[in-house]
Amino acid sequence: MEKNILTSSRTGDKCIHVKHSSGLDVYICEMKGFSSVEALFGTKYGSINTRFRTSGDADYTEVPEGIAHFLEHKLFENEDCDVFELYAKTGANANAFTSFDKTCYLFSCSKNYQDSLKILLDFVQKPYFTKESVNKEQGIIGQEIQMTNDNPEWRVFFNLLRCLYHNHPVKIDIAGTIESIAQIDADLLYKCYNTFYNLNNMVLAIAGNISTDEVLEICDQCLKPCEDKGLESVFPDEPSEIVQPEIRETQPVGTPIFNIGYKCAPCSGRERLKKSMAASVAAGIITDASSDMYQRLLNSGIINSTFGAEVFCGDGYFSVIFSGESAAPEKVRDALAEEMEKIIKGGLEEKDFQRIKKSTYGILIRELNNVESVANLMINAHMDGVKPYDAIEILSDLTSSDCTSFIRDELSADKLAMSVVEGAVQ
Amino acid sequence: MKYNRTELGDNIGFSAIIDEKFKTNSLLIRFITGLDSKNAADNAVGMGILTNSSSRYKTLAQLNEKLSSLYGASLSSGARKRGDVQVLHVSSSWINNKYAIDGEDITSEMLGIICGCIFSPNASEGSFDNESFRIVQKELMDKIEAEINNKRGYALSRAAEFAFSGEPAENSCYGTKETAGKVTAQSSYQAYKNILENAQVEIFYVAPEDNSDVEKRLKKEFSAISRSHSSVKFCAPSKIKEEALRISEEFDVRQSKMVLVFKTESDDCHAIRLLSTIFGETPVSKLFMNVREKMSLCYYCASRVLFAKGSMSVDCGVERDNIEKAEKEILHQLDEIRSGNFSDEELSSALMSIDNTLTAVGDTPSSYSSWYFERFCENNIVTPEQQFEAYKAVTRERIINAAKSLTLDTVYLMLNKEVQN
Repeated sequence: MEKNILTSSRTGDKCIHVKHSSGLDVYICEMKGFSSVEALFGTKYGSINTRFRTSGDADYTEVPEGIAHFLEHKLFENEDCDVFELYAKTGANANAFTSFDKTCYLFSCSKNYQDSLKILLDFVQKPYFTKESVNKEQGIIGQEIQMTNDNPEWRVFFNLLRCLYHNHPVKIDIAGTIESIAQIDADLLYKCYNTFYNLNNMVLAIAGNISTDEVLEICDQCLKPCEDKGLESVFPDEPSEIVQPEIRETQPVGTPIFNIGYKCAPCSGRERLKKSMAASVAAGIITDASSDMYQRLLNSGIINSTFGAEVFCGDGYFSVIFSGESAAPEKVRDALAEEMEKIIKGGLEEKDFQRIKKSTYGILIRELNNVESVANLMINAHMDGVKPYDAIEILSDLTSSDCTSFIRDELSADKLAMSVVEGAVQ
Repeated sequence: MKYNRTELGDNIGFSAIIDEKFKTNSLLIRFITGLDSKNAADNAVGMGILTNSSSRYKTLAQLNEKLSSLYGASLSSGARKRGDVQVLHVSSSWINNKYAIDGEDITSEMLGIICGCIFSPNASEGSFDNESFRIVQKELMDKIEAEINNKRGYALSRAAEFAFSGEPAENSCYGTKETAGKVTAQSSYQAYKNILENAQVEIFYVAPEDNSDVEKRLKKEFSAISRSHSSVKFCAPSKIKEEALRISEEFDVRQSKMVLVFKTESDDCHAIRLLSTIFGETPVSKLFMNVREKMSLCYYCASRVLFAKGSMSVDCGVERDNIEKAEKEILHQLDEIRSGNFSDEELSSALMSIDNTLTAVGDTPSSYSSWYFERFCENNIVTPEQQFEAYKAVTRERIINAAKSLTLDTVYLMLNKEVQN
């Protein structure tokens, strides 16, 4: 197996990528001076992968909403024990998460990482589902769904996605609904597992106080070679238009909270990283506390310091979302639309661009300052089809005209939707 | 790693933690004062204005422009509650000079900005600048109103109000909407002056290399202030109620929340922490394995210890119809520990979990400063390794006694309205 050394020319940081003979991509970053270890074992399988087939299937399979997340919960149960009981013997702190496009199993520890890594690689490759255990999990996940339904930040975000996307499954809740998870059974879980938990569709990222050779040795011992089954996930056609411009929900909250999103054209790989950097710097300039718009809205009491923006993108979706608290969110929306018009006509100030570019560089440097974020950086980059240090390189080549072009091409008023959660404290 | 704490003046500690692995420098200045409903909001506003503008950077826009030109250096302030104490802070972090593309001396610039904000604020004639004041006051009021947004956090805060009723810890570190509304540019400036002159100060500087300028500059700035000696009580165990108080409130929510607050007179903090770890702090704890995994009642059901008040709380999100069942099981699992029904494996796994957490102290700048601040509050400056030795010395008997010492004091329920009818 060839060890590819990936290096950041700007910071000197480096990590190693190995395509393991089992089919698994492995990323390793030895971090001198750190005590802890963070390991993530993930599959490119998230809530959006609801329709798929492999080369052996004649037809596509459609599965209930929330099944990737359900599978994540169930994988923690082995045939003979609960996986947490195994980790209890090493002291590692274990967890897992499911997002829109991935499911990751992880542990962090500062001792016995070798034993914890063996547990991680082993249990994820050994599914065990029964009717009884599936039924039991429905109660727990039901409570998780109810908990997130009471979370106004979660609701305002998913309501916005439902305003932006007609068909793309990004609009569905990651955990599904009480009704959709009731349709899940052991057979469906096995079907999804056998499709997506193929090592050719998976990646291991491990960082911290580790030895590359030890990690690879454990991989050799624990990974079972997999045949690449030609997995194909498909998404329904998604019009470029939004579904509806506004949605409101009532919940016990303080000041109303809002998400204002622009639906942009999706793309993938390095092109997506470049576009998301341009979008991120552009949004950073607009929401910067020094900007005229921010000052105007802040001084008139329309926004507070929670105002900010994020780029939200993945397979088949790309949007820029402005969020915050406001008693008059429609004024924020109008101000944003005006600001975009202004930038389209006059461009961005070069000095503002340079300042926010520097600030973004600072954020990327900080990402390399701790074990957890480095492990996440490696797995996210791989899942996005880029290399771990590509973002710093792309940022250094970014120009203000890239950001202006992004705003001109993508942030038009007809692609804008607003979601608000409002209500009085009981 | 090098750790060194010196005194810059009366009640002013300066801890330098030098660890070459970091890519950032961090400076955290904590002002510690008794939590009092009368001035909590004034203190919070006064602290907030310090990082909103200064006499040199007159507006947030100017200050922010400078910070973002320094590679997005962060500068913020805030307040939190630690038992009966209000801990106010000014916190800053920036990338180390060696990563500056244009060769700037970021550390020197940031030291100037931070000192300017704290010692030369945007104020005149005994009052903060009115515009900065107005923005920060609104910010605080919004924050107080937004506490309900996080239902789990809100339920824990309400439970603390009832559990510590009549004690400083019943108050929020932000004050109330009413007291925040009454703060003025003058009263918050007075509060700021009072903090600077009377609060206990603990400063933490975490960086990859030593820089004596930081200590020297802060010492010089503080020496210009007339300081008086006052001390705070970091540990004040709460009085145990004769009968458990039960409070329920209804909200327009889908999931009910339950918080049980237990209190103890025991000072065996290592045994209590181990007990809580076995009881409800890990995925193999008794609460996780039984209330969640066996009975499927909750997604989360966890315990946490608040040594400063001699208390331990358990909280969970649960269907209203299942509240009684969940409470019964939580109490049953505590009884199991009281009866010694926990295995050697459960004990060793709790110890290993604590060991892993302690060994990781030092992997982030914030974990270093939190560790040494907490040890300062406990008046026991020890390393994580020394602390772990104390945990290893805890016997089964001490854990059983710790469990027996806990008395149920308060039960707080946030109830789902819809199920009621």
